[in-house]
Amino acid sequence: MKSIALLQRGCVLSFLLFLCLFSFSQQNFHVSGKVLDETAKPFGNVTVTLKGTRTGTSTGVDGGFELNVFSGGDVLVFSAVGYESREVRLNGRHDVSVSMKISGSSLSDVVVVGYGTQKRANVTGAVATLKADAFDDRPITRVDQALVGQMAGVTVKQNTGIPGKAFSIQVRGSGSISAGNEPLYVVDGMPLTNNSSNTGNGSFVGGNPMDNINPNDIENIEVLKDAAAAAIYGSRASNGVVLITTRHGKNGKPVIGVTGYAGYNEASKKLQMLNGQQWIDRATEMINAAYLVKYGSAGATVADDAATRAALIGLAPGQVNVQYMLDPRWATPGHPGLEFADWQSLIERKGPMQNAGISASGGSDAVRYYMAGNYARQDGFIKGVDYKEYSARANVDINASKILHFGIAVMPSYSITDDPGVEGKDNIFHQALSMSPVQEDTVGDFPNIGKNAQYLWSNSTNGPLGKLTYNIGQTKRARTLGTIYGEVQLYKGLVFRTTVNVDNVNSNTSTYVPYITAGSIVARTFNPTTNPNLTAATSGTYSNYRRLTLVNENTLTYNTVMGEDHNLSLLVGQAYNKDRLDQMGITSVGGFTSASIQTLNAAANIGFTGNNLSSQNVLISYFSRVQYAYKHKYLLSASLRRDGSSRFGANNQYANFPSVSLGWRMTEEDFLKGLPVVSDLKLRGSYGVNGSNNIGDYDIPTLGSYGYVLGSTQAAAIGQAPNVISNPNLKWERSQTYDAGIDFGLFNNRITGSFDYYNKLNTQLLLNVPVPEVSGQQFALQNAGSVRNIGQELEITSRNMIGRFEWTTSINVSHNTNKIVALYGNQNQIIIPNGFDVTDNIQRVGSPLNSIYVVKMTGILTQDDMDKKVALYGTGETVGDPKYEDMNHDGVITEADKQIVGHPNPNYTYGITNVFRYKGFDLSVLVQGQSGGSVYSLLGRAITRTGQGFTDNAPEFYIHRWKSPSDVGAGRVSKAYSTFGFVANTDWLYSSDYIRVRNITFGYNLKHVIRVSAVRSARLYVSAENFFGHDKYYGGLNPEAANTTISSNSAYPEAGDYGGLPLPKSFIVGLNINF
Amino acid sequence: MHTMKKIFFPALFVLLAASCTKDLNQIPISSATTATFYKTPSDFIQGVNAAYADLRGYPDRLLNLSEIRSDNIYGVSVAVRDWDPINDFSSGIASNTYVEEGWNTDFNGIFRANTVLDQLSRNGSNVGSANLATRLQAEAKFLRAFYYFDLVRYYGKLPIVDHPMTVTEANKLKQSDVTALYDLIISDLQFAISNLPASYTGVDVGRASKYAAEGLLAQVYMARSGPTYGIAGAGLGLSEWTLAQPLLDDIIGSGLFAFNPNFANIFSYSNQSPTPTGNKEAVFDVMYLTGVSGTASTYGATYPWVLTPSGYFTTLKDTKSNGSLEIIPVSQDLVSDFDSTDLRLHATIYTAGYTNAGSTENRPFFKKYLDVTKIPTTSRFDWGINFIAIRYTDVLMMKAECILNGAPGSQTTVDSIVNLVRTRAGLGAMTGVTLPQLFNERRKEFADEGSRWFDLQRSGQLLAIMNNWIGTEDVQHRINPVVANYVIYPVPQSQLDAAPGLYTQNLGY
Repeated sequence: MKSIALLQRGCVLSFLLFLCLFSFSQQNFHVSGKVLDETAKPFGNVTVTLKGTRTGTSTGVDGGFELNVFSGGDVLVFSAVGYESREVRLNGRHDVSVSMKISGSSLSDVVVVGYGTQKRANVTGAVATLKADAFDDRPITRVDQALVGQMAGVTVKQNTGIPGKAFSIQVRGSGSISAGNEPLYVVDGMPLTNNSSNTGNGSFVGGNPMDNINPNDIENIEVLKDAAAAAIYGSRASNGVVLITTRHGKNGKPVIGVTGYAGYNEASKKLQMLNGQQWIDRATEMINAAYLVKYGSAGATVADDAATRAALIGLAPGQVNVQYMLDPRWATPGHPGLEFADWQSLIERKGPMQNAGISASGGSDAVRYYMAGNYARQDGFIKGVDYKEYSARANVDINASKILHFGIAVMPSYSITDDPGVEGKDNIFHQALSMSPVQEDTVGDFPNIGKNAQYLWSNSTNGPLGKLTYNIGQTKRARTLGTIYGEVQLYKGLVFRTTVNVDNVNSNTSTYVPYITAGSIVARTFNPTTNPNLTAATSGTYSNYRRLTLVNENTLTYNTVMGEDHNLSLLVGQAYNKDRLDQMGITSVGGFTSASIQTLNAAANIGFTGNNLSSQNVLISYFSRVQYAYKHKYLLSASLRRDGSSRFGANNQYANFPSVSLGWRMTEEDFLKGLPVVSDLKLRGSYGVNGSNNIGDYDIPTLGSYGYVLGSTQAAAIGQAPNVISNPNLKWERSQTYDAGIDFGLFNNRITGSFDYYNKLNTQLLLNVPVPEVSGQQFALQNAGSVRNIGQELEITSRNMIGRFEWTTSINVSHNTNKIVALYGNQNQIIIPNGFDVTDNIQRVGSPLNSIYVVKMTGILTQDDMDKKVALYGTGETVGDPKYEDMNHDGVITEADKQIVGHPNPNYTYGITNVFRYKGFDLSVLVQGQSGGSVYSLLGRAITRTGQGFTDNAPEFYIHRWKSPSDVGAGRVSKAYSTFGFVANTDWLYSSDYIRVRNITFGYNLKHVIRVSAVRSARLYVSAENFFGHDKYYGGLNPEAANTTISSNSAYPEAGDYGGLPLPKSFIVGLNINF
Repeated sequence: MHTMKKIFFPALFVLLAASCTKDLNQIPISSATTATFYKTPSDFIQGVNAAYADLRGYPDRLLNLSEIRSDNIYGVSVAVRDWDPINDFSSGIASNTYVEEGWNTDFNGIFRANTVLDQLSRNGSNVGSANLATRLQAEAKFLRAFYYFDLVRYYGKLPIVDHPMTVTEANKLKQSDVTALYDLIISDLQFAISNLPASYTGVDVGRASKYAAEGLLAQVYMARSGPTYGIAGAGLGLSEWTLAQPLLDDIIGSGLFAFNPNFANIFSYSNQSPTPTGNKEAVFDVMYLTGVSGTASTYGATYPWVLTPSGYFTTLKDTKSNGSLEIIPVSQDLVSDFDSTDLRLHATIYTAGYTNAGSTENRPFFKKYLDVTKIPTTSRFDWGINFIAIRYTDVLMMKAECILNGAPGSQTTVDSIVNLVRTRAGLGAMTGVTLPQLFNERRKEFADEGSRWFDLQRSGQLLAIMNNWIGTEDVQHRINPVVANYVIYPVPQSQLDAAPGLYTQNLGY
């Protein structure tokens, strides 16, 4: 209903109007012909289009085609995947025969550039392309997953191990502090709403644009990297633009495709923790040390038995003090009554995964269609974590006449994610790492669950396997993307197009934690006086959001060739974009009234915890572009976009985003023609301005609710006061990029590639700057500060061997550095506030974004250090405790000794793909990695903290700890028993370098054995994902993990790893058949 | 046909452009804005209520910055926690959470008071009733003075902000002299005294009354009368005891308040809502309510457990964690200061020890506001007990202090006040009570109420008493010597960073 109301707002009438206005028409110049391949055999399924229009057809099995065009002066374009496209001027001929050449270079490919396409040879901006065949056979459930390691300058972070969850993408580094760094996604021309994206805990709370989009429906993906290429998307383009083209039908007989795979996935890495015996050794050491410190003066010795200790402590018979007493069973051979548990293994499994899809496509001159349905299922490698997705796609393109075309596409989908709360601080995986590996054997694998008590020497968390078994966390998401368009050719080469796009996402999440997995045994045991209502400890939540985006775009394009030498393409357009988000959420209060009902109607109370919020924003845009080529040699492209956003202050709603780029195809020059080595050479240069409006929807001084208690019968009294300082001058965050690039082809295009250098400056950042509290607030949103990103990108494809045995290598490498150039006013740094009393992050002028700012640990204190009175932290440090660097030389270690020790973004990212083909066999291997970044692992706070108790488990490398002055260990881990406290220091700092064999796919073309004509193609393959790899993250599982909000200020979103899952490694067998 | 198209499409473009631009002016759907608010009387009442809401952290702050700072707590902990540097007089506490919180919350309260004062001056006619408008103005001024007085006792010199500010303005506003700050506080309170009602009825009970303003102004005069310690702190070395005393007498003479003969009953959960209907000891309360907030601390209190270890709650019943992560023990010096028969000892301090997970803990902790039958089931942020910010017993004790400092009155009056307090505590009477004896009595009477650090400031004995106490209590040698600069706290680091060069840091930090 809402969308209908929006339609009626007067902005989108044009579509209906023009349908009524134009009858079918007129020009008829008949052309027919035949297309042959390199071996002069008939070539079917070649697309034949009238240049500058959508008029077209494709060749039949016999290579023949027929087409009606305007006149004998028109130009036809012939294209097929993997072949060089050809342009043929009719010159009055009615019969045209063409032979196609296998493409030696991607330069002849057609590239989607936003509101149109362009031959790669003529592209003057930095655009990277990924075709579907690069990920068709991979066991992936998301489109963003497909981008990992494929393009230079496009960094894809897999920051979760939960199937179906969004990845984080950065194009050319990060330039913004508060306003997000995720790119704009455009699917078949529809810009998807990029909500404030990464919300600081690594997940995309309002949904991610790539949610529920089935990779099988994707034809190719283009990333507009530099400002000039992206500027046509103006205000939302500063983080790059990802253009996704879905599959459409082609002329010809119906093609029925069946795809399917089945396999399994499991954890790709395990963090070795202390095993039962190692834990006992450490616990014994720590308890004895504590006992000596406390009772040493009373004559205690390590050899004291339980009875002696109890007497010394003053316990009644039978009582135990676990701080100072050992479990006698630890030293008993065979540990009777105790069980050693490997919690990671206990909660993990081999999860089956499968995918099945069917598609039908085809078309005639009048109608082309594509329909597909897909089912994907992945049971995660953690018990109870699952993902299922059902999706469908249907599109129809109709040529109502030679000049009138319209079409419709819908993509409905539904997904279910089960995740009882596995990743993040105090969640199940963190607890599985921390849980004491020694437990009573009477409770099985379910300690501290239901009627089972906690083992006295264990930590008090409820058993992780029990929580996975009984807790519920489920997200159900339905999404429908819909597009309807109409296109009319007003004059030769002049086309008007209007589209209406709708994206509707509905998502609800429910969680349920029964009392049997909460609290202690006391609270789970019925007691008529003290604990009469067991379900009081049961809790649940329910939340829902609906996002509706409506986009209407109207464009006029004009393509012409003047003489033989002047190619001109013009575009003007206008767009209206409205986005609305409605949210609600309720949480149980005071437990549940029933143990059998899991919805919140059984909650004791939900009254004061409910919320219901809505917000919307509008973007109005005008854009234009000119593309000009002289003799295919000198290329020019320039664009200008003007955007108005409702998110900005009344004084600055509109802004302009210009760009210009130039290209020179040197190989078209006479002096380079005929060179044996250089077959293709193009220089590119560009400059452009992009924007970001990624802030909250409103910049009006809103009021917050601040209640107080008043009245003789005390009651809640409502209070309201402003919660922001308004800034009517607020405007776009702006980025300007200079890009210089070279595209080349060598040795008859056996080696092709490109190199780019860019320099990107983000200015007037939408920054929540700290302001003096006399203003009433700690932060105010201002346009302040700037960040510079400089980088280089190299992409090379080499066809090492051709012929019967083919071997192709593609390499992409990118290097990026960033630096904060300025902050607000004369502020020099912002220390990001932190919720975990271990502030570790700073924004400082002259340093990289989000620099890691902690005290440096330099070793372990020796007696010599103590004698020399080196600086100590606090007053309790002794020999065997860590030694820290006294940065300010004041003789003591304090927070003031923090220094910048690293930055999270990698300096280098790379991907290498090797493809081998022999007869019907093919093998492809993708290796991908990064280097130069650091991860400050907050998980360390839980499992490797100094002063940590003996109950929480520690990594296995703790066996190499400092044990005595004569047994100092490996130098990294200080003594187990310490009482001096902890400070954020480099002991949790790890390199985020990794190298991974992301994918190995081995396939066989079954057409070599199935010689049934009904089967057009058949392919059998096996694919392995993440099977091999190495990283330097010894204190966690995934160096890219992000799952916990670290910053306590939402203006500085900073997500860290506090128990993120390892990546899944998967193995599948798949079959694709086309009939 | 062609001609028509040529005209039609450019025209369509223009049409589309014009029809949509007004959509750029979006109004928030789910939040009120300053443009749409302040239209009805209840809007203004809500504006003032929001200024009260910043009182909710006041008692917690007293415990963290006054009790822990004083000789009442010996809190060196096993792990390094935020309270340690407060307790051990480290110099590097400018970014300490508690130091930051005090400045931020109090200035936020001042901002809310200024906002509603500004709206009253511009749109006051929307209130409808001139009487109500004046009362709301007086309440806002009382609150502004309350927050500023809280600030000046912790931080000394402050920027004076008396209207809502833009960021640019805030970035230029320097600190003022403490004297100029007091001028604003005193004039605000004088306005409040002239315009606030003596008491409230019904739903308004709990708002600041004339007597609350008088009590606060008396405290202000007494703080000004304290010594300067040679620093720019709350004490100005003025002798304004005679200005304070009439205000206290006015409260006493009002007949609205009463001395509760049962000490424990003053802090009872069944003796809550303030005068006139409820707790007659309460001249001014910070009010809390349990059971409506759920998991958020919107209406419930946290201060009852701030100085109580969570392990104690675990022993009682382990449903929702309550309490501080670690024990913040009461000093032995304070415990032994109590006579063993003093009824206040066990009403204030838990000394019995407890065993949690096999571990025995005997160090004493504060429990004045704890009632173990009232542990909230839902959330540890949801305790339902008011905090008495100005207590009638204190009004009496302040009067005695004024007399001993030379204000009109006799030693007999002083003795009778002190003996009223001692009798209630089950102790024998005294005669010829001296100032040091009065302060010692205050220490025991008001322990866990956040009064100690300010009493030490005012007494002039802060440095002597603290350093002497460290000598005997600090067996772990963790506490640094107390110097005059430590009478007040540093300006929070966040404020220095926000506007480099604007503020001067307090000496010694």
